[in-house]
Amino acid sequence: MNDFSELEAELKQLRPAAPSPELAKRIEHALEEAPATETRTAGVLPKPKIRVNWFTLGLGLAGAAAFLLLARVDVDPTSADGPQIAANTPIIGEALPAPNPDTVQRGYVAEGVTRVVYTRRDEGLAFPGDSEQPVRRVRSQTHETTQWRDPSTGASLRVSYPAEEVEFIPVGGQ
Amino acid sequence: MENVAAHDDWKACFSEAGPGLVLFARQFVRTSADAEDIVQEAFVRFWRKQHPVDNRALLFATVRSIALDLLRRDSRRARREADALADSDQHVEPQFDELDESKRALAAAVDRLPAEQREVLVMKIWNDLTFADIASVLNISQNTAASRYRYALGALKKNFITHE
Repeated sequence: MNDFSELEAELKQLRPAAPSPELAKRIEHALEEAPATETRTAGVLPKPKIRVNWFTLGLGLAGAAAFLLLARVDVDPTSADGPQIAANTPIIGEALPAPNPDTVQRGYVAEGVTRVVYTRRDEGLAFPGDSEQPVRRVRSQTHETTQWRDPSTGASLRVSYPAEEVEFIPVGGQ
Repeated sequence: MENVAAHDDWKACFSEAGPGLVLFARQFVRTSADAEDIVQEAFVRFWRKQHPVDNRALLFATVRSIALDLLRRDSRRARREADALADSDQHVEPQFDELDESKRALAAAVDRLPAEQREVLVMKIWNDLTFADIASVLNISQNTAASRYRYALGALKKNFITHE
């Protein structure tokens, strides 16, 4: 039983004042100014899509690609007359010749290798080739960082890269 | 090319919801003109966004949001108007039509309700919103909406009887 039903009925008898006729005209005028793609459907029709001019877009992308290629050629530091950086790249673990004090030349010496194992997953037994002897396949994902240092200048070079390693471990019978 | 105003759908929607919307907007401002400005902006925004026409809660939430924005934007003006009203016992435009003595007293009692109760009452009684809709408009729980409604009716009953 609602104690307020009488009061609610009385309140409903109060009729809200009607809006002025100008309000409807103002709304009509404002809606006339709406973009033509918007419709009366209030969400029934799909919203307008952006039109793409594929030809212009393709032309623009081709131009951008050409610019990047040209820019790459112009700013490439490894020109024929310049220093050969690749020649200075040491092999991991191998020391480059010590700097000659008479003919000061740049030489990087491998300083250390860091290997971080992120995951190590046992993938179960495998029979490589036609072998009857099972092996356990273990896959490791690592991140290796190698650092070189030039003792003469103090400059250092560090290279990091991800690596994946698969080990086959023979399984001994018991 | 389709033109929004070439269709009468918005008119049907507005003629049904318009009086209730203006009454709701009047809870935030003192004059019908300001309330109509709010309703115009809200209705046009709602219609242009192509929301489902039966999403009344969203329409009322839009009105409320625009009204609160207006109050925040123009708080100095609102304060001036409130001061002027308090000083001069100025005539406030009626929110309801054709009032006899008894109904005028009831309308005055509605006007004296705390704002948070009054807005729930306006949405429930004169706009037929459900408590779920009201909760969505005010960003409160349905229970809170229902409580505010009951408090409003209770206070109204008490005040109305006192002033009768």
